[in-house]
Amino acid sequence: MVIDFNTAAILAMVCWTIGSLLDLLSRKSAALKLPAFLIAFGGTMVMVAYIAIYWSFLGRPPLRTLGETRLWYAALIPLAGFLVEYRWKISWLKYYCMALAGFFLVINLLHPEVFDKTLMPALQSPWFIPHVVVYLVGYVLLAASSVAALHNVSLQLRSKKNDAGETAAHYLALLGFVLLTFGLIFGALWAKEAWGHYWTWDPKETWAFLSWLAYLGYLHAFRYKIDRGKLQWYLALSFIVLLVCWFGVNYLPSAQNSVHTYTQS
Amino acid sequence: MVVVRRRWFQAPWEFREAFLVTAMVIVAGFFVEYLGAGGGIPLLHLPVNAIALVIFALMVLGAGLAFRNSAVVQWLGGIPLGLALIFAIAVLSLIGGIVPQGDAVAGSLSAMLRINQIFSSWPFFLTVLFFLANLGLGLSWKLFPFSMKNLQFILFHAGFWLALSCGIFGSTDLQRFVVPIEIGKANNLGYSMNSDTPQQLPFSIFLQNFSLEEYPPQLLLYDPQNDKLLVERSQAIIQVRKGVTASWKGVEVEVVDYLSYALRGSDGEPQAADRKAGMPFAKVRISSGGAPFEAWISTGSPMLKPEAADLGGILLIMVPGSPKSFNSAVSIQGENGEQKTATLGVNQPLSFSGWKLYQMGYDEKMGKWSQLSLIEVIRDPWLPAVYLGLFMIMAGNILFFWNGIKHSEVA
Ligand code: HEM
Repeated sequence: MVIDFNTAAILAMVCWTIGSLLDLLSRKSAALKLPAFLIAFGGTMVMVAYIAIYWSFLGRPPLRTLGETRLWYAALIPLAGFLVEYRWKISWLKYYCMALAGFFLVINLLHPEVFDKTLMPALQSPWFIPHVVVYLVGYVLLAASSVAALHNVSLQLRSKKNDAGETAAHYLALLGFVLLTFGLIFGALWAKEAWGHYWTWDPKETWAFLSWLAYLGYLHAFRYKIDRGKLQWYLALSFIVLLVCWFGVNYLPSAQNSVHTYTQS
Repeated sequence: MVVVRRRWFQAPWEFREAFLVTAMVIVAGFFVEYLGAGGGIPLLHLPVNAIALVIFALMVLGAGLAFRNSAVVQWLGGIPLGLALIFAIAVLSLIGGIVPQGDAVAGSLSAMLRINQIFSSWPFFLTVLFFLANLGLGLSWKLFPFSMKNLQFILFHAGFWLALSCGIFGSTDLQRFVVPIEIGKANNLGYSMNSDTPQQLPFSIFLQNFSLEEYPPQLLLYDPQNDKLLVERSQAIIQVRKGVTASWKGVEVEVVDYLSYALRGSDGEPQAADRKAGMPFAKVRISSGGAPFEAWISTGSPMLKPEAADLGGILLIMVPGSPKSFNSAVSIQGENGEQKTATLGVNQPLSFSGWKLYQMGYDEKMGKWSQLSLIEVIRDPWLPAVYLGLFMIMAGNILFFWNGIKHSEVA
C-alpha cells in the first residue's frame, strides 16, 4: 500500500492538533482562521484518502470489522463538527469531534488487526453498504449530539445558558434518529434475505433497538415540552448506550450466540 | 414561597402515575409467569390470533373516539404513559440483551420468570399490549378527523403499530424447518429445533448439485511441537497466487506455481485435475538461511493428507481459504404439480408457493467436497403486514427528515 495506517493516523492527528491550536489563536488574529480550517480539514482528508486506498487494497469495502468501522468514525466525526460550525456557527464542537476521532485512531494504533481480504457470503449483499453506512453516519451524528450536550451540561454547571448549543444538540439527535430508523429497518429487510427472519432479538439487534428507543424517548420528551436544559443530561448520557453498541456487545454474556460476532477483532 | 405539588392521582395524571401503572403491569406479568411456572404466553394460531388482534384494535379505536374527553383516557393515550412504556420496553429488552436467551435450568428462578425467554413472556407481552393501547388511542385522535398535517404522525405511529402488533401476534405462525438433502436425492421432510419428529412439507426438493467456491488458500507457519500457528499481528493474511511472496522472521517464501485443482500424477508431480477431485497445490521457493529449495505443498482434502514444507522444525503449511460462496441447484415439486428449478445461494433465497427457501449450510467437515446441502424453508403469513408497517415508518422518516431540516431554517 502507498501509505500505511500508522503514518496516516499520526499525520491526521498532527493536522487536527495544529489546526485546533491555530483556530484557538485565530480568536486574536482573524487571518489565521482559514489556514487553521485548511489544516484541520486536511487531517480529515488524510483519513478519507487512507480509507479509499485501503478499500482498493482490500478489494472490498472496509466495513467488516470493528477496527475498520473506527476508521470511518475517525474520518466522519470531524466532518460533522465542521458542518455544524458552517451551519450553526458553533465553533467549539469540532474540537471535541477531532479529539473523539483521535481516540478512535489511538485504539486502532494500539490494536493492529490482521488484514483479511475475505468477505463471508452473508455479507455479500446489496444491503451491506447502505445498512452499515447509514448506521455509521447516524452514530456519528448522535456522538456529535452527545458531545454538544455534554458541553451544554458543563456550561449549565457554571450557570451559563447556551441556546444555540442546545438547538444544535437537538437537531443532531433528530437527524441521528432518522438515520438510526433507516439503519434498523434496512437491517431487518437484509436479515430476512440472508438469515430468513427480519428480527430475532439477537444481542446486537437488541442493543440497536435500545439505542433507537433512547432517542425515541428523547424526541417525545422534547415534544412534551420537558425543560430543554434538563434534556441535555439525557442526551449526554445516551452516549453510554451508543458505546455499548459500538464496543460492548461482544463482551456481554448474551453475545455467545450472536450472528454478528464477525465484527469481532 | 409555597410550592403547590400535585398529589398522587390528583388530576391531571402525569409521569408519576404513568411509571407506577407501568411498573404494576410488569410486576403483574412476572406474577402470571410465576403462576404458570414460566410457560409463557399462550400460542394462538391463525385465524384466532388475527381475530383477537382485530378486536383489540377496534376496542382501542372505539375507546379513543367514544371517550376522547375523559381525562383518564387522555392520559392512557398521552406522552407520559408512552414514555413510561418506552422505558419499560427498554428495560425488558435490556434484560434480554444481557441475560443469555435460550435454555435455562428447569425450575430455576430465571426459568420460572421466563427471564431466559423474555420476548415471549407475560411481562413483555402485557407491556406491548399497553404500548399498543397507548399508541392506538393517540392514533385514533389524529386519524379522525383526518388532516394532511398529521400525515407524518400517522405514518410513524400507525406503521409502528402494524409492525409491532403483527410481528408479536404473528410470531406463532412463523414456520421454519431445515431440510437436509444429498446430491441426487429428493427430500420433503423438514426438521425443527423444538421437535424430534420431522414435518411433512407440501413440496419436495431435489438437489441436482452443490458447489462451493473458496477464497484462495493461505500460507502460514506452523509449530508442530507446540501445536501453534505463528501469526504476527498486523500482518496481512497471505493469499496464495502465482508470484506472491511472503517473509516472516528470517524466512522468504515465493509461490512459483499454483494449481487450484490438482492431484499428484503417476510421476509424483501435481497435475491439474477436475474440480470435484482436485485440491490446491502450490510450488514454493523457500530461503531461510541455507540454500534456497523448492517444494510442493497442498491443503489436503477429506481423502488425502495435506502436504507441508519442513523448515527445520517449523512447517510451512497451506490452509484452505474461507468459503466465498456456496450454492445448491435444486428443482422443487409442489403437491399440486407446480414446479421450479433454480440455484439457491446465501442472500439469494427463492420463493415457492408461500414459502421461502434459503441456502443454509452444508457438511462443513467435507468443505467443498460436501455431498449434503442444508436448506432452510420458512413460511411467515404475517410478513406483508409487518413490511407494510416498516415501509410506512420509512415514509414517515423521510417526511421527518425533510420537516426537521425545514424547521431548522426557521430556528
Ligand atoms: C408509546 C407510544 C407513543 C405515543 C403515546 C406517542 C405520541 C406522540 C405524540 C403525542 C407526538 C406529538 C405529535 C404532534 O405534536 O403532532 C409524537 C411525535 C412523534 N412520534 Fe410518537 N408516540 C409514541 C410512539 C412512537 C413510536 C414507536 C415512534 C416511531 C416509530 C414515534 C415517532 C414519533 C416521531 C418521529 C414524532 C415527531 C417528534 C417531533 O416532531 O419532534 N412515536 N408522538
